[in-house]
Amino acid sequence: MKRLSVDERLARNKFESNDETPHIIIDRQECRNCVHKACIYSCPAERYQLNADEELIFDHVGCLECGNCRLVCEKLRESKPGYKWNYPVKGGGVIFRQG
Amino acid sequence: MSDEHFPVIVVGAGLAGCAAAYRLAKAGYDVLLLERGKRPGGKNVSGGRLYSYALEALMPGEWLDAPLEREVRREMIMTMTERGAVTVNGLLSPNHSGTSYTVLRSKLDGWLAKKAEQAGALVMTGVTATEIVIKDGKACGVLVGDERLEADIIICADGANSLLAENAGITNKVTMENIALGVKLVVGLPEQTINDRFNLSGEDGAACLMVGDCTKGLAGGGFLYTNKESLSLGLVVDASSIKSAKTNIADMIEELKEHPAISPLIVGGQLLEYSAHLIPEGGLNMMPKVFDNGLMIAGDAAGFVINSGLTLRGMDYAILSGIAAAETAIKSIQAADYSAEQLNQYEVMLRLNVLSDMETFKKVRGFMKDTAGLYTAYPKLAETIFKSIFTVDGRPAKRISKVMINSILSHTSVWQLIKDGVKGALSL
Ligand SMILES: Cc1cc2nc3c(=O)[nH]c(=O)nc-3n(C[C@H](O)[C@H](O)[C@H](O)COP(=O)(O)OP(=O)(O)OC[C@H]3O[C@@H](n4cnc5c(N)ncnc54)[C@H](O)[C@@H]3O)c2cc1C
Ligand code: SF4
Ligand code: SF4
Repeated sequence: MKRLSVDERLARNKFESNDETPHIIIDRQECRNCVHKACIYSCPAERYQLNADEELIFDHVGCLECGNCRLVCEKLRESKPGYKWNYPVKGGGVIFRQG
Repeated sequence: MSDEHFPVIVVGAGLAGCAAAYRLAKAGYDVLLLERGKRPGGKNVSGGRLYSYALEALMPGEWLDAPLEREVRREMIMTMTERGAVTVNGLLSPNHSGTSYTVLRSKLDGWLAKKAEQAGALVMTGVTATEIVIKDGKACGVLVGDERLEADIIICADGANSLLAENAGITNKVTMENIALGVKLVVGLPEQTINDRFNLSGEDGAACLMVGDCTKGLAGGGFLYTNKESLSLGLVVDASSIKSAKTNIADMIEELKEHPAISPLIVGGQLLEYSAHLIPEGGLNMMPKVFDNGLMIAGDAAGFVINSGLTLRGMDYAILSGIAAAETAIKSIQAADYSAEQLNQYEVMLRLNVLSDMETFKKVRGFMKDTAGLYTAYPKLAETIFKSIFTVDGRPAKRISKVMINSILSHTSVWQLIKDGVKGALSL
C-alpha cells in the first residue's frame, strides 16, 4: 500500500465541520513565545503548522478530536486567555464510519 | 426543553454509556442518553478486540446478534526490528473459553444504542453536554449550551478526554504521563484475501500485537486485527514520549505499513479511514474518585483500562462499569437516596471485577514505560537468535545454546537482562 500524506488520509474520512466556529482556539501571537511547539508533532492530523513567517497556523477542519494537543500544550490545558479546547457542538466535526 | 427532569442522565453513548442506559431502560427506569456525535459510535475509536464475557453479562444471549466482525482464533505476537520480525503464531482450539471478537465501533455502538432505545431509553444525538451542574454539593443536572437538563443521578461516561468531570472539578486533570495516543488505519480487503493471508477459515479472525521497531523505540506497541472485510492496523504510543522525542506518530503509522512483515498483509488494500483517540493508561494511579453526590463516572472517563503489553482492555471494563453504575442507580432510586454514601455501592461492585484486575496489573505500566529494552534491544535479540539458528553458511556449526548466549551478550548485558526479567516477572 503506498504511503499517504495526512491530508490524503483525512480525505477518506467524513467531516461535517462548521467553518465559522472552530472548536479549538489558539493565539498566534502568543504562540511565538512557545518554546516547545509540541502541538506541531503531537497532532496526528497535522493541524498545527508553521507558515513561511514562522507563525503558527491552526486549521480545525480535519481535526480527529483526539484531545492530544490539549495535553501537550499548557496554554490549551489551562484555557489561558486566547486558548480554548472544546468538542464541536451540534454533531459537527469528524464522523467515523468504521471506528 | 428547558428544566426537564429525569431520574438518570447518562452522558456519552460509548460502550459504558450505552451499557448503563440499556440496563436502566431494561429494568423499566426512565433514562436520557446524550451523545455529542451525530450518531452513536460516530466519534469512537478502538483497536479493537472485545472480550465477549462482558457482552454476555450485559445482555445474556442477545449479544449474539450484535455486529461483531470475527471471532479471534489466531493469536500472533510479533517482535519487530527495522527490517525483520519474529512472530509467535498460535491457533486456539474451538470452544475455548474467554472468546473475543474484533469489532468496529461505529457499527457496534450504533447497535447498542438502538437496543437501549428499544428498551425505552431516550437517546439524543448531536448534543454536547457542556457542564455538570452542581448544587449544594450534589450533581443535579447537565448544561447543553444554555439549556439545563435536571436529574437525580448523572452517569458521566464521556470517554478518555473527559472534559465534563474535569471541568466540574470532580476529577483531577489527566496528564499526558498517564495517557497514550492511538492512531489507526482501517484498510479494506476482500474477505477471501484476508482469510488466505492470515491462514483463516470461515469467519475466524486473527489478532496480532507488535512490539519493537513499530514505535521507533518509544513506549507502546502496534496492533493488527482482521475484520470481515477490512484490517485494523494501528499504533498506541505513550503521549509524553511523543512530546519529548519530537516524533510524529502520523508518520510512524505510514512507516509501519511499509515494514516487510506488514506490507504483504495489506498490499492492494484501500484505506477506508484514518482515526486517532486517547487511551487512559495510568491505571489506579490516575483513577479519580469514581462517584460523588448524585454522580458516577464510568468507562475511560474513570480510567478503567489495562494495557498489559500484550492485551489492551478498556471496552469490557467500560461495559462492566456501565452495568455497575446502572445497578447502583436503580438501588439509589429505590431508596430515594442519591448521596455519595449510597452511591458507594458502585465502587463496591467494581471491586469485584474492574478494580481487582487493575490492582493485579498496577505495576505493568511502569515496567512497560521504563524498560527501554522491550522496544529495541530485545526484538533485535530475538531476530539475532533466529538468524543464528537458521543461518547455514558452510562455516563450522555451533551448538544452539552457544548461539543463544553469544546473541544475548551482543545485545544487552546479562545484568540488564536479569534485572528486566525480575522486574517483568514481578509486574506482569
Ligand atoms: C487505538 C485504540 C485501541 C484500543 N484497543 C482496544 C482493544 O483492542 N480492546 C479493548 O477492550 N479496548 C481497546 N481500547 C480502549 C477502548 O476503546 C476504550 O476503553 C473504550 O472505548 C471506552 O469506552 P467508553 O464508553 O468509556 O468511552 P468512549 O467509547 O470514548 O465513549 C465516550 C462517548 O461519550 C461521548 N461524549 C464525550 N463527551 C461528550 C459530551 N460532552 N456530551 C455528550 N457526549 C459526549 C463521545 O462522543 C463518545 O460516544 C483501544 C483504544 C484505542 C484508542
Ligand atoms: S503548544 Fe500551544 S502554545 Fe505552543 S505553539 Fe502549540 S498551540 Fe501555541
Ligand atoms: S484534537 Fe487531536 S487531531 Fe485535533 S488538533 Fe488536537 S491533536 Fe490534532
